[in-house]
Amino acid sequence: MAETRLHRLSIGLLAVIAVLAAGSLFLVVRTGGQWALVLLWAAVIAATHSLSVPTPSGKRINLAIGPAVAAVLLLPDVLAVTAAVALGLVGGWIVLRWRSKTDRDADSDYVAESISMIAFGLVASTMLGGIAGSTIPFAWQQLLSVTAGGVVWFILRALVSAWVGTEREDLASRYLWLLALEDWTVALAIFTGGALFGMTWLVMGLWAFPVAILPYAFSHLAFVRYSSTRVTYGQMIRALAQIPEVADLAPRGHSARTADLAVAVAREIGLHPVEVTDLEYAALMHDVGRITLTEPAILKAGYTDEDIARWGAQIIAEAPYLQEVSEYVRVQHSPYRRPGEAKDPDVPMISKIIKVASAYDQAVHEMQMSPLESLERIHRGSAYDFDPDVSSSLRRVLVQRGVVAA
Amino acid sequence: MSRAAVQRQQKTKIRLAVGFGALGALILAALVATPWQTFPDLRLWIPFAAAFVYFELHAVEVNDRLFASPSIMVLLTAAVVFGPGSAVIGAAAMAAVGLLAPEDIVERRWFQPIVNFGQQVASATAAALVLSLVVGVGLSEGASAIDAGLWRIALGSALASITYGLVNYRMVLFIVGRVYGRLEVRPWSHIGAILLPMTGMGFLGGMLGATYLEIGTAALPLTAVVFFVGYMAFESYARLREAQESTIRGFIKALEAKDLYTRGHTERVARFSEMIGKQMGFDGTQLERLRWAALIHDVGKLAVPRDLIRKRARLTDEEYEVMQLHVHYVEDLLEDVDFLRPMVKIASNHHAHYDGNGYHGTGHEHGEAPCKEACILAVADTFDAITSTRSYRVALTQPYAYAELRRHAGTQFDPEVVEAFIAGMESSGHRYGSSVELTEEEARHIAEEGLDQIRHADQVHGRNFPLAPTSKETPDG
Repeated sequence: MAETRLHRLSIGLLAVIAVLAAGSLFLVVRTGGQWALVLLWAAVIAATHSLSVPTPSGKRINLAIGPAVAAVLLLPDVLAVTAAVALGLVGGWIVLRWRSKTDRDADSDYVAESISMIAFGLVASTMLGGIAGSTIPFAWQQLLSVTAGGVVWFILRALVSAWVGTEREDLASRYLWLLALEDWTVALAIFTGGALFGMTWLVMGLWAFPVAILPYAFSHLAFVRYSSTRVTYGQMIRALAQIPEVADLAPRGHSARTADLAVAVAREIGLHPVEVTDLEYAALMHDVGRITLTEPAILKAGYTDEDIARWGAQIIAEAPYLQEVSEYVRVQHSPYRRPGEAKDPDVPMISKIIKVASAYDQAVHEMQMSPLESLERIHRGSAYDFDPDVSSSLRRVLVQRGVVAA
Repeated sequence: MSRAAVQRQQKTKIRLAVGFGALGALILAALVATPWQTFPDLRLWIPFAAAFVYFELHAVEVNDRLFASPSIMVLLTAAVVFGPGSAVIGAAAMAAVGLLAPEDIVERRWFQPIVNFGQQVASATAAALVLSLVVGVGLSEGASAIDAGLWRIALGSALASITYGLVNYRMVLFIVGRVYGRLEVRPWSHIGAILLPMTGMGFLGGMLGATYLEIGTAALPLTAVVFFVGYMAFESYARLREAQESTIRGFIKALEAKDLYTRGHTERVARFSEMIGKQMGFDGTQLERLRWAALIHDVGKLAVPRDLIRKRARLTDEEYEVMQLHVHYVEDLLEDVDFLRPMVKIASNHHAHYDGNGYHGTGHEHGEAPCKEACILAVADTFDAITSTRSYRVALTQPYAYAELRRHAGTQFDPEVVEAFIAGMESSGHRYGSSVELTEEEARHIAEEGLDQIRHADQVHGRNFPLAPTSKETPDG
């Protein structure tokens, strides 16, 4: 429902951008402006829109802001900049459609990017026109204008994409907003490349290409490697978490399903993206202590869930970068509140989420209960075993997934 | 090492420190005295020197064991900005302060900092001299580097960074050769891998300096962003890589520790494998692959019931089957980890024989020879098994392990790998296994008799002699 509305809004905004592009280009031609240069920059912006780089947050950011920064610095006025950016955006959208890489989500993401790009062009070139003729040296005028525009662009981009994400997936806007802000290093690298090109092209000629592109290329290499290592790190933790399952000491698939559900709940609640990653690792490994059951003596002597949690935490604690994850695993069974006591404030949210997600998955897959019965079971345990906030978030996630009816 | 050798090394170190310290001081004094060089504007020098010091202290491991830092970029940007008349003294002074590492001062290390001082001042001076010559020849006095034309700055900074790299490398070779008696730290083919990115960074540094000369101070914030964003990107990548490796190491350590017979096994096999790889001239990427394969080779065994690993009697056929399954457990577990796929193939063949027999992983034909890396892993794994105490026999001696490896060379083991291993082990001087001569029969007999009797023979190099596991043992231990 919300999706259709969002899509209609996106198409409407695209139409507005198209009108803006046509109108400003018409005015540029009418006033005898440099329309050929405008078309050139529009083409570069359109082309770079389909090139993107993976960011530390796991999303991608496209390179079009680079040429847009250069265009602001090298085109004569606001009108020409608006024409180039708007035309480039429309062109980029056509390229995207033509390569058939688009669906409704891509459309709304694209429009979210576009709005902030146009805002950037307007702010930066208006400011550049405004402070022209002041006593500030010319290069500083350029730098200050694009920086101001860049700040507006980055914040607007994070806000709009958070809003779009909330509309589309019912995720907490805080989570999405923080996620978008994580991308600042990549954004800054692309942005600086554009600024260096725009500021050096007129004085250095062709040398502007290596000056602008080389630094970005170095960072690009690192960003790409970082994101692929991030993926394999996650895969490796997933693999290690499965050792007890391979040894038939834990039910197959339980840790992966628990992690999947826990991450969905955490995003719905609005945990910080860094915490969501920790939560994912902790949830994947919450049963890793079961590997201890390869020891026949322990099987014979008996053990409790708390023992499993403690042994798991001890194993994880040997990894220097997973100290916090180890702590979350250790306290995963702590009850939300003991009868007659106030709620225990020391249990981290991450552990409470794992407790709920794991209990739900156990109910569904081991006790053969229906999703609704399982959810009821969690709700009955709320306020003592489970945190009520987490269990109601679980309900919302399950409704969203269509597992239980609203 | 004998005491005389230690004393000799200490003397060499003092001589080197005095020599290099004097070299650095002399260069600086000569630069201060010459009228041809004047010290650059401090308002420019201080920020560049601060960035240089920061990057020198925070080198990033970009590739396996290959450290790099953007300090060469900062050095050349600064040299171009200072201009030919101040570049050499400015760069030399930056290099001189670049070594004030707080840890060295706290721990009162003197040899490394003093030698590095001379080495860095000399390399920075050589680099800045090359740059100044390429850029400055034919320029009138006081002219900016930009008057020489951008292509001369580009060429000069690229050549300067190559000079910096080569001078630095020659000196490291010299120092290592004197102190440790080794002449090669890295084969020449590997130097290219360092010089290429270094030249790129140097060139870029020079061009950023030219940008400053063209557009003025507004270039400085942009340059700073280039330095720091690039640095942060590589740094976070390097940290993540380290996290990845330390995670798997930690996990395996924790899981192996539960069993006295396997404790430390993976770490030792990884160390032996890396040593063989180095002995056979593997490069950084190959060594990294080998190390990872060694780290994961026994992950599957962690899922095998403990009583099987501890069993004193010979395993029944059925138990043997379960035990061999661990090879496939590795495949099941780790095949979904993209970058580990080639390593899983190596690891799952660590029981395969050189002549194509033995137990091998999926996708490997019977009769087909396993890859070099798998052969290395097999030798390292077998050596550690022989020299460690197992449930059915106590540890045997190192010479016995050598003999055993040589006896099966050509059938079970790759002869080339066996010889590389023995050569490497002998030159390292480490000793593993029992110090008491035992035949295999005796070793089995002692294990059956109980380990109490041999507790007094616990002279195993670097480790406590493993004790018999008891049923009371908990995983907390």
